[in-house]
Amino acid sequence: MSERARRLLAVVPLVLVALASSAFVLVSDRSPSRLELERAWAHPSAAYPLGSGEAGVDLLALVSHATARALLLAGIVALIGLLVGTPLGALAGLVRGRAERITARACDLVQAFPSFLLALAVLAAVRTPSRVHIGAVFCLTAWAPFARLALVQARVLADAQFVDAARAIGASRARVVLRHVLPNLFGPVAVQLGASAAGVVLGETALGFVGLGPRDGVSLGALLEQGVVSMLRAPHVLAVGAVAVVLVSASLQLASEGLRAAFAHR
Amino acid sequence: MSARLRASAWGRAAARVASRGAEALLVAWLLASLVFLAMRLLPGDPAALVLGEQAGEVERALFRQKLGLDRPLFLQYLSFGRGLLTLDLGDSLRRPGVPAFEVVAEALGPTAALAGLGVGLGAVIGIGGAVLSVGPWLGARRAWVHRGAIALAALPLVAVAPLATWGLAVRLRLVPLPGDPDAGLWGLLFASSLLALPLGAVLARIGRAALLDLGRAQFLDVAAAKGARPARIYWLHALPVASAPIAAVVATQLGALLGGAVVLERLFERPGLGTVMLEAYAARDLPVLEAAVVASGLLFVLAQTSATAIVAFVDPRGGEA
Repeated sequence: MSERARRLLAVVPLVLVALASSAFVLVSDRSPSRLELERAWAHPSAAYPLGSGEAGVDLLALVSHATARALLLAGIVALIGLLVGTPLGALAGLVRGRAERITARACDLVQAFPSFLLALAVLAAVRTPSRVHIGAVFCLTAWAPFARLALVQARVLADAQFVDAARAIGASRARVVLRHVLPNLFGPVAVQLGASAAGVVLGETALGFVGLGPRDGVSLGALLEQGVVSMLRAPHVLAVGAVAVVLVSASLQLASEGLRAAFAHR
Repeated sequence: MSARLRASAWGRAAARVASRGAEALLVAWLLASLVFLAMRLLPGDPAALVLGEQAGEVERALFRQKLGLDRPLFLQYLSFGRGLLTLDLGDSLRRPGVPAFEVVAEALGPTAALAGLGVGLGAVIGIGGAVLSVGPWLGARRAWVHRGAIALAALPLVAVAPLATWGLAVRLRLVPLPGDPDAGLWGLLFASSLLALPLGAVLARIGRAALLDLGRAQFLDVAAAKGARPARIYWLHALPVASAPIAAVVATQLGALLGGAVVLERLFERPGLGTVMLEAYAARDLPVLEAAVVASGLLFVLAQTSATAIVAFVDPRGGEA
């Protein structure tokens, strides 16, 4: 097995988590919206392998649905960040000068800015926060790391010989950017997808934990919150929630590191 | 370095801090405008949000008049700006008669204690870890310090903090339970050490890289040749130079720190800025929410600017920190 193939094995945990949760959502008829009050906070049993939570919600169904939705949201936000940030950063890196400095500073600021404050400012205007609103909040900042990476990469590419060659044979500026710079940018920039997605999962979890999550309560953060409330009588809820959050974020980070190692240094 | 060269380097550092200060004000103004616009332009009538959908039209109109929401947008924006400058955004809706900024000011102390102690502990953990993972004391085991820091940095606070609380408070009874009104200093110390762990882990990683970089610097060889022991070399010679990248890292972690503080305040039911914001959000206490978001945004940019200032004066060579 080649070195690169071995590094790519790092995406296996993520694929397993994504497949398992989405298969459960599609195939099983267990639903996180079905409540059996008499089973509230019940411990794990054969019929309910992860036990039940608040108001008798089936934790297996809750954690599968929440994981699948978190991964979907994180994937969409990270992709939007990639599609918006890459051209922006590439442009700034090619234009240089003041535009480059301003873009770089804006990226630094946005990356360091507390997303919680942005979320409060935006969510304050809606009665019931939904996943779309929460996704929109993360999109406000998702472009920055991609733009930062694309900027650095574009500076390198702008001086590359094959780009010089394209210019020398008379290719227009737009053609140079679209045909020669952008395609060579995507690889190094795309390895940021995993890290960004992990950030969105954790951000969404934190928002759900403090009560700014979707109102249906199907989120990893709401699950953790249930776990904290019932810490004394039903610690299994907290265990399920914490393990799920660690599993999802760790598998995303692992996949991202693997992709980086396999593709970043060519 | 000649006196004139030194002066110009310091002048550049001061100029950089000044430009970051101006930038901080710009960011605070942008955030305030975002808050202002979100409340007024996004779909959803604040009056309906506060009073409930079943409130009568007259009640709603009176409410809008009270908050000035019936006036033209740019007049509202002007008085919002004046309110920010004079620290007067009106009274809290939930606690009538109490100015919104007073509610926020009361909450600043506990959050500052939590975050300040968290940064302090994080710096101790991180710098200690960095020096241990580079210095000769642990031998081959120092690689484990580095691996531990990587693992710790990857663990999400929002999952680990409740687990640690369950283990230490519920099972072992070592720390106060969440919501304990008598948690006192011990509870504050526990909460801020949870906040400090991820920061310390990141600092240990960056600090290690900075120290390894410095390991090839000549002045350390000179110190070693003069017979200085490793501890003296690292603490007295290397660390002051490595402190610029370390302060720069703290600056990038401040946003995460604020988010972490909000999560921990919720977890331990502690009073503070996060609790005020969440309560104001739940009760639609718009003046308090505006004041709290703007105040914490301002605090964030101020903290970031001071971190930049530290970096600029520790390492006045300039360049993008």
